[in-house]
Amino acid sequence: MQSKRLGWILLAPTLVILFFFGVLPFIYVVYVSFHQWNPFAVNPEMVFNGADNFRQIVFDPAFLNSIGVTVMFVFFAVLSELILGYVLAQAFMRDFPGKAIFRTIHTLPLIMAPIIVGSVWKLMTTPSIGIIPKFLDEWFGITMNIGTSAPAAFATVVIMDIWHWTPLVTLTLIAALVSLPPDPFEQAQIDGANKRQIFWHITLPMIAPAVVATVFIRLMDALRTVDEVWMLTGGGPGSATRFVGVHIFKEVFPKTNYGYGSTISVIVLYLTIVVCWLLYVTMLAPRSKKD
Amino acid sequence: MKFAFKMGASALALTVAATSAYAEIDEAWWKAAAEPYQGVTIRGVTESSPPSLYIREVLAPEFEALTGIRVDVETTSWDQMFDKAIKDMEASTGIYDMAYIEQDIIYSYLSRNFLTDLTQFLADNPDLKAATYDESNFTTFADYFKDDAGHLYGVPMEAFLKVYLYRTDLFNDPEIQAEFKEKTGRDLVPAKTHAEYAEVAQFFTAYGEENDLDLWGTTAQAHTGHVASWYEYFESVAPTFGVYNWGIDADNNYGASVANGGEMNGPEAVEAMTWWLSMRDIAPPESPASTWTEVGTTFGAGRAAQGLVYGENAGWIAADESKSLVVGKVGVALPPLKDGVMEEVEGGTGYIGYYDGGAFGMPHSSKNKEATALFLQYIGQNEVQPDWAVAAPRVTNTATYDDPKVQEMNEKLSGYYDLIKDRGYLFAGAPAYPFHAQVREATAPIFYQILTGDLGVQEGLDQMAATAESTLTELGYRK
Repeated sequence: MQSKRLGWILLAPTLVILFFFGVLPFIYVVYVSFHQWNPFAVNPEMVFNGADNFRQIVFDPAFLNSIGVTVMFVFFAVLSELILGYVLAQAFMRDFPGKAIFRTIHTLPLIMAPIIVGSVWKLMTTPSIGIIPKFLDEWFGITMNIGTSAPAAFATVVIMDIWHWTPLVTLTLIAALVSLPPDPFEQAQIDGANKRQIFWHITLPMIAPAVVATVFIRLMDALRTVDEVWMLTGGGPGSATRFVGVHIFKEVFPKTNYGYGSTISVIVLYLTIVVCWLLYVTMLAPRSKKD
Repeated sequence: MKFAFKMGASALALTVAATSAYAEIDEAWWKAAAEPYQGVTIRGVTESSPPSLYIREVLAPEFEALTGIRVDVETTSWDQMFDKAIKDMEASTGIYDMAYIEQDIIYSYLSRNFLTDLTQFLADNPDLKAATYDESNFTTFADYFKDDAGHLYGVPMEAFLKVYLYRTDLFNDPEIQAEFKEKTGRDLVPAKTHAEYAEVAQFFTAYGEENDLDLWGTTAQAHTGHVASWYEYFESVAPTFGVYNWGIDADNNYGASVANGGEMNGPEAVEAMTWWLSMRDIAPPESPASTWTEVGTTFGAGRAAQGLVYGENAGWIAADESKSLVVGKVGVALPPLKDGVMEEVEGGTGYIGYYDGGAFGMPHSSKNKEATALFLQYIGQNEVQPDWAVAAPRVTNTATYDDPKVQEMNEKLSGYYDLIKDRGYLFAGAPAYPFHAQVREATAPIFYQILTGDLGVQEGLDQMAATAESTLTELGYRK
C-alpha cells in the first residue's frame, strides 16, 4: 500500500508536467479545431463552425498532397533506415580494424540539430557551389538541381533523413542483438539451419519488439519532419517536399489560419496513432497471443 | 555696431548649434529622463539584418551606458520574428517592448490595434520627449507607419530600394562593349526597357559560356519553395509592366481576376511573368534555390552581370572586400520599364519597384512603455544616423544624406543614396493590405507550380487570382 503511494508521489511531478504541457495544449488544439479563427480576418475573433474544418480537409488538395508526399517520405526513409541500420548493426557485432573510430563517426549525425543538418545539406546540394551536384556532373554528367527537379529534391530529402537517423536505428538494433541469448542460434546451427532461416525464424522474431519500438520512434519523427526540409527546400520545388509538418507550419504561422491549422494537426495526430496501432497489431499482437 | 554684430553672430551660432541636425546629444537630459526607470530591462525582437545588428551591437549598449536602462535586442530569422511578435501581441503577454515592423505587415498590425501610437504617447508624456527627436526629421518613408490621422506607430530604422545593380567593370570594358555592339547593334549601357535588359542578359550568359567564366547575364530571386520569389515577381517585376498592388483592386471589392476588375491574371501580368521566367532560365543555376540573401551572394561573388538586388545588400556588395568580389565595380540604376509605366508613375499612379524597410514599434502590451519610448527616440535622432547608414546602407532621416561619411559611402555605391533621395518617390512599399501574409501564403503554392512548369503562366495566374479572391472572401474583405 505504502509502495503504491510512494510510486504515485514519485510519478506526480511528471504527470503534472505532462498534464500542463501535453494534455491541456492538446485539448486547446482540439477546441480551436472546431473554430474559424484568423486574427487578421475582418472578424478576428474565434467563431465556432462545427465540423466545417474537418469537412474542408477531406476536399483540400494541398492537404491531401502533403499527406501523400509524407507517406511516401516515411515509407522510403524509415524502410531504408531499418534495412541499413540492421546491416550496420550486424557489422558492428563483428570485429574489424578501425571499428571504434567508424562507430563514432557513424554516430555523429545523431548529435546534430535538424536545422544544422538542413543547412549542411543545402550547402552540399546548391547548384554551382554544392559538392554533390559538382561531382555528379563531373563524374556522371548528371545535372542535379533540387530547385527545379521534384524527384531530385524528394530523393535528397529522403537521403538526408537516412543519413541523419540511421545511426539511431543501428544503436537500438545493436542493443537488441547484444541481448539475444546464444543458445537458440547454436541449436539452429546444429540442426542445419542456414543463415536466411536463422534470420527469419530466430533473429527477427526475437528482436521484433526493438524493431517495432524503433519504427514507432522513427515513424513519429518522420511524420513531423519540418526543420530539415524547411532549410533544404522550403517545401519545394512546388509542393514536392511540402510534408504535412511543413504544411501545418505554413498554415498556422505565416497564414495565421489557426482554426484550420489546428484541425490538420488533430487529423495528423489521429493518423499517426492509427498507423502505430496498425503496426502494433500486425507485428506484435500475434506474438503476444502465442506467448 | 561691432558688439551688435558679435551678439548677432553668437546668437545665430547658438541657434544653428541648437537646431543643427548634428547637435550634441544632451546627456544630462537623457540621464534625468531615464532616472525613474533605472533597473528596467526593455526587450525587442527583430530580424537578423545589418541594421538590426547595429542596434544590438552599437545603439543599445550606447543607450544603456547613457541612461542605465538595459536593452535586450533579440535578432532572429524573418519568420521567427513575425511569429514571436504576433503571438506576443495577440496574447498580450508583454514579453516584448519593441518589435520590428516590416513595412508590409504594418497594416495587419494596425487593423488589430497591436501597436502603441507613439505620437500620442509622447504628447501625453511631455517629460519623455527628447529635444533631438522630431518626427519631421524622417524621410517620407515614415508615412508608411502612420495612421490616417498622421500619427506615427513605428520609428523607421531601415529603408532601402530594390535597385538595378550592374557590373561597371563589364559594362565599361571596351572589348566587351565592341562585342556587344557587333552582336546587337547598340551600345552596352544599363537597360531601360525589358527588351534591352533581356538582350544584355542573353549576351552576358553567352559570353560567360564562350569564355568559360562563372558569369551569367542576370540574377533571379526565383526560389521554388520560398516566398522570396513571389515577392520578386509582385514587388519588383509586375510593377515594371504596370501591374500594381499585386493586381488586386482594393477599390473594387478586392477583385483580383480581370473578370472582377483586377489585373492579377491580365495580359500585363502574363507578359511580366513570361519575361521574368525567361530571365530566370538564363540566370545562374542556383537561382531556383535563391532567396533575397542568395541573390546578394550571387552578385557579390561576381556571378551576374546585372540584377535586381535589395538595397540592404548593395552596401556590402559594393564596399566590403571581405565579402564581395566586385568592390568598386558596381553601378546603380532604375529598373527596366515597359513603355508608359514611367509616365503613369510620374502622374501619380503606381510605382516602379519596391521601397523596402521597417520600423521599431511598441506593442500595445509592452510593460515598459516609458523606457521604451526613450529608446525609440534615441534611435530616431539625427545624431545616431550617419554611422548607422554607413554600417548598413539605410537612410531614414533626411539630414543623413548630407553627412560627409554618407556622401563618401554614396560614391562607393555609385550614387545609391542619391537614387533614394532623388528618385525614391518612384518606388513604393507593399500595398496597404491587412491580409498581406494570408493572400501571399494562399497564392504562393500555385506560384511555385508556375515556376516549376507544372502550370502554364496563364493557367497559373488564373488560379492565383481565383484563390486570392476566395481567400479574401473567407477573410471577410471581399463581399
